[in-house]
Amino acid sequence: MDPQQPEPVSYLCGDCGAENTLKPGDVIQCRECGYRILYKKRTRRIVQYEAR
Amino acid sequence: MERTEEEEAPAAKDPNASLPSPTYRSLAAPVTKPVDKFALLPAFLKVRGLVKEHIDSFNYFITKGIRNIVKANNRIEARNNPSIFLRYNSVRVGVPSVQVQYIAEKITPHFCRLTDRTYSAPVLADIEYTVGKQYELKRKPNFIIGYLPIMLRSHACVLNGKDEAELARYGECPLDPGGYFIVKGTEKVILIQEQLSKNRIIIDTDSKGRVIASVTSSTHEIKSKTVIFMEKEKIYLQLNQFTKPIPIIVVMKAMGMESDQEVAQMVGRDPRYGDLLYPSIQECAFERIYTQKQALQYMDDKVMYPGAGNQKEGRSKSILRDVFVAHVPVESGNFRPKCIYTAVMLRRMMDAILNADTFDDKDYVGNKRLELSGQLISLLFEDLFKTMNSNAVELMNKTSEKIHSSPLDLSLHIKENIITHGLERAISTGNWDIKRFRMHRKGVSQVLSRLSYMASLGYMTRITPQFEKTRKTSGPRALQPSQWGMLCPCDTPEGEACGLTKNLALLTHVTTDQEEGPLMNLCYSLGVEDLSLLSGEEIHASGSFLVMFNGLILGKHRQPQRFANAMRKLRRSGIIGEFVSIFVNEKQHCIHIASDGGRVCRPLIIADKGIPRVKEHHMKQLRDGIRSFDDFLRDGLIEYLDVNEENNALIALYEHEDQDDVQRSSITHIEIEPLTILGVVAGLIPYPHHNQSPRNTYQCAMGKQAMGNIAYNQLFRADSLLYLLVYAQRPLLTTKTIELVGYDKLGAGQNATVAVMSYSGYDIEDAIVMNKSSLDRGFGRCIAMKKYTVTKEKYEGGYSDRIVKPQRDKDGALLKQNMRALDEDGFAAPGLIIRNHDIYVNKQTPRNTKRDSGAHLTDRDYKDSPAVYKGVDGETTVVDRVMLCSDTDEKLIIKCIIRHTRRPEVGDKFSSRHGQKGVCGTIVQQEDFPFSERGICPDLIMNPHGFPSRMTIGKMIELLGGKAGVSCGQFHYGSAFGEPSGNADKVEDISRTLVKHGFSYNGKDLLYSGILGHPCQAYVFMGPIYYQKLKHMVLDKMHARASGPRVLLTRQPTEGRSRDGGLRLGEMERDCLIAYGASMLIFERLLISSDPYQVQVCRKCGLLGYYNHKLKASYCSMCKNGENMAKMRMPYACKLLFQELQAMNVVPRLKLTEG
Repeated sequence: MDPQQPEPVSYLCGDCGAENTLKPGDVIQCRECGYRILYKKRTRRIVQYEAR
Repeated sequence: MERTEEEEAPAAKDPNASLPSPTYRSLAAPVTKPVDKFALLPAFLKVRGLVKEHIDSFNYFITKGIRNIVKANNRIEARNNPSIFLRYNSVRVGVPSVQVQYIAEKITPHFCRLTDRTYSAPVLADIEYTVGKQYELKRKPNFIIGYLPIMLRSHACVLNGKDEAELARYGECPLDPGGYFIVKGTEKVILIQEQLSKNRIIIDTDSKGRVIASVTSSTHEIKSKTVIFMEKEKIYLQLNQFTKPIPIIVVMKAMGMESDQEVAQMVGRDPRYGDLLYPSIQECAFERIYTQKQALQYMDDKVMYPGAGNQKEGRSKSILRDVFVAHVPVESGNFRPKCIYTAVMLRRMMDAILNADTFDDKDYVGNKRLELSGQLISLLFEDLFKTMNSNAVELMNKTSEKIHSSPLDLSLHIKENIITHGLERAISTGNWDIKRFRMHRKGVSQVLSRLSYMASLGYMTRITPQFEKTRKTSGPRALQPSQWGMLCPCDTPEGEACGLTKNLALLTHVTTDQEEGPLMNLCYSLGVEDLSLLSGEEIHASGSFLVMFNGLILGKHRQPQRFANAMRKLRRSGIIGEFVSIFVNEKQHCIHIASDGGRVCRPLIIADKGIPRVKEHHMKQLRDGIRSFDDFLRDGLIEYLDVNEENNALIALYEHEDQDDVQRSSITHIEIEPLTILGVVAGLIPYPHHNQSPRNTYQCAMGKQAMGNIAYNQLFRADSLLYLLVYAQRPLLTTKTIELVGYDKLGAGQNATVAVMSYSGYDIEDAIVMNKSSLDRGFGRCIAMKKYTVTKEKYEGGYSDRIVKPQRDKDGALLKQNMRALDEDGFAAPGLIIRNHDIYVNKQTPRNTKRDSGAHLTDRDYKDSPAVYKGVDGETTVVDRVMLCSDTDEKLIIKCIIRHTRRPEVGDKFSSRHGQKGVCGTIVQQEDFPFSERGICPDLIMNPHGFPSRMTIGKMIELLGGKAGVSCGQFHYGSAFGEPSGNADKVEDISRTLVKHGFSYNGKDLLYSGILGHPCQAYVFMGPIYYQKLKHMVLDKMHARASGPRVLLTRQPTEGRSRDGGLRLGEMERDCLIAYGASMLIFERLLISSDPYQVQVCRKCGLLGYYNHKLKASYCSMCKNGENMAKMRMPYACKLLFQELQAMNVVPRLKLTEG
C-alpha cells in the first residue's frame, strides 16, 4: 500500500498536452488553450503484464 | 517424371537464349515502342481521385445548388399585406463552427468525432425586410438560416487543400479520402443511388406483355411518369391523373393537332406506321371526337379528381401542360413540342413492335443515372427551406391580423432549427422524406465502416439500387457489357444483393449538371434546324437525324456526323465542358447530347486512325511535373466518354503496334491502362485475370473484413469497435492499384510462408495448420479496441448524476473487489488491467428525480449505477484511454477505450487474397513442422484440395512471385491484365529469378518431415502468400450456457450470445438425434433444459385448470369441480399456445392416457 496521501488526478489536454486538474462541476476545457477534450493521465500504479 | 526433367534441363542450361527476332508485316514501317502511359493514372487520381465524385457533387451543391434554390424562393410576404416582406439576396456557406454560449467556435472533423457533435457550417444569407408600422426597409448581412452538415474534404471543409503535415495537426489521416459527413459523432456516407434516367424514352414490355413507351419526367416542380402502350391494336396514354387510359389520338387532338393526316405524317410516312396507327384513328372517329374542344371535354370526364371543374380552361388542359411529359415546356400555350415528342414516342414504340431489336434495356448503364449526396441534400434542403419560409409566413399572418401588435418583423419568424434539425435527422437516420415529391426513402445514408481501410474505400464507391432485394430476377443482377470500365465486374455482394449493389471502377467519374443554355445555342449555331420550323414531313426525312438535348428534342440536323464531329472538336479543345456527351444513334436516327448530372464516364486516350495522340514527350513532361492531367484534356490528347458515347467509339486495350496501319485505322480510343476496369477493392487481387471469377468476388467481400490498419490516426480515434493488426505488412506481390490507393501504407495482412501439402487431419474442409512459433513471433496478432461511453445525466430541478471515488473501509481497503481499476476520481485509470465485471465509472443516480427543486441531496438520496465492464473471464484487457468532454447539451461524457491484444487460436479465420478462406484447424509446435533443406519452416500449411475445383491460379503465381521477391529483394507486380504492359510479371521471368537464386523454377522445395526426420516423398509447393486475418474470431463468437435468463412471456431461454441466451436446437439437429435414436436427449433439450411447467389437466373435459395453494387442491373452471384433475409437465410455451388459442375461440382439448 502506498502510504502517501493520494495526489489529485490530472488530465491532459487533447490539443496542447497541458496538465489540468478538475473539480466537480468544472467545465471540461483546457485552461491553457481552451480545447474541450481532456484525457486522463496514465496510472502511476505498478501494472504487471503477461508476455505471451 | 525423369523424362520431363531431362526435357526441361536444356532450357534451364541456356537461360540467356535470345528470343527469335520479331517479324513485321510492313518492313518499311518504323518500329516504335509503346508509350508507357501508366503515369496518367496517379495524375488522374490526383485531380479526380477516389471519392471525388462525392466531393464534386457536394461542392456543386454548396456553390451553385444552394444559390439556385434560394434564388428561386427568394421572397416571402404576408398574405394579407404584401408590404410586409423579406427577401434573400445572396446565400453562402460559412466556416464549420458550433455555438457555445452564443459564441461561434471553429471546429475540426476530429473534434466532432470525439465529442459526438455534428460537423456543420452556418448557411448565411443577406436579407432585406420591412419592419414596423411604416414598413421601413432594413438590411441584415450574414443572417443564419440553418446549419448544414459539411462533407469532409469539400470546399467548405477545413481540411480542403491541406498538406500532410497540416492534416496531421488537425488529427486527420492524409490517406482518408473524405467524402462523408460527421453527424452526432458518427461518420455517415450518403451512398450513391442508382436509378433510371429521367426525361428519356424507354421502350419496354410490361407484365402483361404489352409494348410500352414510358418517360419519367423530372423538372424543378414535378415528377411524373407518362406511359403509352398498345392493347388490342389500339394505342393509349396512361397517366395517374386519369381514371382510364386515354386514346392517343384524343390526346393529340386535345393538344391542338386536329388533323389525322398530320399525326400520321409526324409519326412517319412508312406505310407500316400508318397501318399500326389506323385502328387508333378509327377509335377516335368512333367516339365522334374531331376537334380540340371535343377532345378536351372527353378527357375532362376522365380526370381523377374533378372537384376543380370550375376552372376556365378545364383540368385536362392543365394536366397536359404540367403533368404529361412534364419536361417538355409549353410556352404561350404552344403544345407543338409536346405533339412532336409524343409522335417520337409512338414511332419508337412502333419500331419496337416491327423489330424486336429496338427495345431498350433498362439495365443498360447508359439508361441509368447515379444520384449522389449533393443532389439528395439539395432536394432535402429545398424542402426544408420552403417549409421554413411557409412557417414564417403563417406566423406573420397570425401576428399581423392582431390589432396594435408590434413589431411586424418577418426575420423574427425565421426558425433556423427547421433546416438544422431536418438535415441532421435525415443524414443521421437515413430516411429521406420529402412531401412534395412523395419521396420516402430509407437507408440513404449508412455508417461508414471502419473495419479496414478497404472497407472504407469500398463504401465510398458503392452504388445502391432502387430495386427490392428480395426479388429473384436475373436481369438487373446480370453483368452488363456496358459496365466495362465504369463499374467493377467483381465487387458485388453474395446473397440477396448480388448484382444489385455495385461499385465504381477505378477511373470512373460521375458528372454534375452543366449549364444548358449556351450548349443549346451552340447546337443551333452548328446547323440544328429548330423544331418549330419543321413539318412532319421534314422531321423524319431520310439522312437527317433528330437532335435530343438531355431528353428534349431541339430539332433536326441534315449532316449528323459532321455535327457530332464538330461538337467533339469543341469539347476536346475545352470550349465546352469535358463531360458533355455526343452520341450518334444510327438505329434511332438520333443524336443524343447529354450534359446532365449522374452519368458515369471515364477518361480515354484519343487515337487518330489507331495512333495515339499521347506521345513519349508528353509523358516525360508529366513525369517532370510540367504537365498535369488537365493539360492533357485541354490539349485534346485525352477525353471523357460516357456509356452512350462509347457506342460510337472503338476502344483498344493496347496500342497494337504489331498490326499495320490499315488494320488499326478504325481504332478511335485506347485505354490508359486495362487494370482500371476493376475497382478499388478488386485491385488488391494479384493476377485476377488468372482466377476463376467468383473467387475474385469472394475476395472483394473478404478484403473488407480483413484486419490491419485503418488510418494514420487510428490510435487517436474513438470508434465503437476497432480491430488492428499489430504487425501489418505490405504484400510482397503487389499490384499497381495497391500503390495508387495507398493500401501499401495501410496494409491489412501479413506475408506468410505457406506449404501446400497434407499434414494430419486437422486441415480438413479448408482449415489450415499453423506454426506455434510463428504465432509467438507475432503472426496474426491483433488488437481489439472497444469504446464504452458513460454520460453524466441531468434531470429536471437541477439534479444530475454524480461520480464518486471508490468506497473504502477504515483501513483503506476497497469494500468491493471490482473497484480495483478506479482512481480517486471514480474513473478507471489508463494502463490498468480491467477484468470481467469490473467497474470503470463509479456513477450514482438520484433515487427520485422529480423532487422539488432546490433541495439538497444527501448520500442516502443516491443509488449506485456503476458502469460495469463485460468481458471474457480469464482474458487480460487494459484500459487504453479515458477521455472527458461535454456534449451539445453540456453534459459530461466519459469515454473509456478498452484494449485487448489477441493471439490467434483454433477457430480464428484467415484468408488469402483469392477467396480462399479457412479457419485455424490446429496449432503445431515448430519442431513438428516440416522444414526445407535451408531450414525454412512454413508459417502455415494449406490443404492442396483447395486449388483444383476453385482454379485460383493467381494464388499459385502469387506464391512464385512472392518467393522471387523475397529472394531478390524486390516487389513483384501482379496487376490485372498487366503482362503486356509490364505491370504484371510473367511467370517465365519469375521462374528465371527463382533459378538464379537457387530455387526450383516451379516453386517446389524438398521438405523434411518434422515428426520423423526423413525427406518427404514429394516435392512441396512452398513460398510466401499474403494472408489476411478476418474479423471472425472465436473469442467474439464463443458461447456456452448452463442456466441463465429467460424471456418473460414464454419463459424460454433468451436468444443470442449478447443476452446470455440458449443454444438453439434446430430442426436439423432434431433430425440427427432421432436418427441416432437419442429421443430422450430431445426430451431433455426441449423440456427440462428449456421451460418445464406443471399444469393441472381435467381428464373429463381436457382443459387446463389450476392449483389452489390455499386449499391444496386442483380445480377445473369448466367442470366447476376438482375430481378429475391430473398433473402433467409440459413446456410453458405449449401452455401459452393453448391459452392464446382459447383467446381466439379455438378450444384445444387434451386426451390423457396412462403414462
